[in-house]
Amino acid sequence: MASAFRTSALRTAASAFKTCARPALAAPKIAFLKPQPRIAAFHTSKSLSILPPGRQVIEGTINDAAPVPESNPSHGSYHWTFERLVSVGLIPLTIAPFALGSVSPVTDAVLGAAVVIHSYIGFESSIIDYIPGRKHPTAKKVFMWILKGSTVLVLVGLYEFETNDVGITEAVKRVWKA
Amino acid sequence: MSASILSRTALRASSSVVRPTAVRTLASVATSQSAPAEKKANIKKFEIYRWNPDTPEKKPFMQTYELDLNQTGPMVLDALIRLKNEVDPTLTFRRSCREGICGSCAMNIQGSNTLACLCRIDTSSSAPVKIYPLPHTYIVKDLVPDLTQFYKQYKSIKPYLQRKTATEDGKENRQSIADRKKLDGLYECILCACCATSCPSYWWNSSDYLGPAVLLQSYRWIADSRDEFKAERKMALENEMSLYRCHTIMNCAKTCPKGLNPGQAIANVNPLTSPYL
Repeated sequence: MASAFRTSALRTAASAFKTCARPALAAPKIAFLKPQPRIAAFHTSKSLSILPPGRQVIEGTINDAAPVPESNPSHGSYHWTFERLVSVGLIPLTIAPFALGSVSPVTDAVLGAAVVIHSYIGFESSIIDYIPGRKHPTAKKVFMWILKGSTVLVLVGLYEFETNDVGITEAVKRVWKA
Repeated sequence: MSASILSRTALRASSSVVRPTAVRTLASVATSQSAPAEKKANIKKFEIYRWNPDTPEKKPFMQTYELDLNQTGPMVLDALIRLKNEVDPTLTFRRSCREGICGSCAMNIQGSNTLACLCRIDTSSSAPVKIYPLPHTYIVKDLVPDLTQFYKQYKSIKPYLQRKTATEDGKENRQSIADRKKLDGLYECILCACCATSCPSYWWNSSDYLGPAVLLQSYRWIADSRDEFKAERKMALENEMSLYRCHTIMNCAKTCPKGLNPGQAIANVNPLTSPYL
C-alpha cells in the first residue's frame, strides 16, 4: 500500500538524504566495520591461533566492486604453463640418466636446475597461500627473501657438487647401491 | 479475497483430520502439521551456533534445541523455521524461497555447506544435527554471514552481457542451440556462496582470490557466444591471485547444492586446459 505512494523520485531524494546524513561512511577510502569477536576464537584455543583472522576490512564502500589487479600474464597463465612444463619435464629428466645408463654433466645440470625451479615455485605458492600479503605484508616479504636466499644457496651448492664432485645422478646411484 | 483464504483454511483443517501428512519434497513455510495422537514423538536434537552482536563480550556458543520430527517438515529449513516460530524467536537465519533457488539459507549443516531448504534432516541416526554458519565468514548474527566481499568480487567481474557491436538486424542478441548448451552447468549458479566458503584457498586469500563461485560466473560470460569482451574478461584474471590460487582441491564441486562443478569452469578459463577456448 505504502509503496504505491513512494514514487521513484521520492525514493531517490530519500536515499540522497540518507547518504548526506552519514558523511563519515562515504569519506574514508577503507571503511572498517565495527570490530567483533570472530568465529576463529570459537574453533581454536588461543595458543593454536597462529594467524588470527583480525577485523573485517572492506575496501571502498560496500557498493564498489572489488579492485581488479593489474594484468600481467607472466604472473598468470604464462607462469602457470611454465610451472606445469617444468613439472612434466622433471619426469623424463629423472628417469633418462638411469634408463640410458650414462651420466652426462649436461642432463645432470638441467635436472638440478629444474628441481630448484620446481621447488622455488612450490615454496613461493605455499608462502602466498599461507601468509596472505594483504594481512601480513612484512612477514610475506621476509619469507620471500628467505626463499630467494636459500634458492641461491642451493644453486651454488649444486654447482659446487656438479663441478667438484660426482653430480646428482651419480650420487643417487651410489646411495642406491650402498 | 479474504473469504477465499478463510474457506481454504477451513478446508485444510477439515482435510487434516482425514489425511494428516502430505508428501513434501521441499521446505515449507507452513510450520507444524497436526500429527495423529497415537504416533510416538520422534525427538531430534539440533545444535545451532549462536552469537549475538549486541553482546559481543559473550563468546559464540552452541545451543541445543529439541523438536518432534513427526510435527516438522522433512528439511532442515522446516526445523529452523519451526524453532524460530515456536521455540526461540531470537534464532536468526536467512531464508526466502524455501525451494533452492534463492541461495539465502546457505549454511554449514553436519559439516558441509549446503542449502538448509534442500538438506533433509538426518533421521537415520539419533545424533544431533549440527548447524553452523558458512565457515570463514564474518558473522552478522547467529547463522547470518557477512557476504559483502563475495558480492563485491562478483561485481568486479562485470556479470552482465557486454557488446562492442549491435546485432545485424538491430534485434536482440541471439545464439544457436549449440552455443546455448555451453552455458548449461553455469547459468544455474545461484550465488549461495557454499562453494566459495568451502574452498581452503578462499579461506586463506579471500581478499584477493575470487573463489569458485565468482570464477564460475566469470567463465559463464567468457563462454557466452553473445559476449564480445571475452579477451578483456580473461585479461582481468591474468594475475597471481584472482584465478591461479585455485589448487583443484575440488571442495567446490563436492559441496555445490545445485550439483555444479566450479572447478571445471575454472579449468576452462585456462586455454591449456579448456576444451572450448
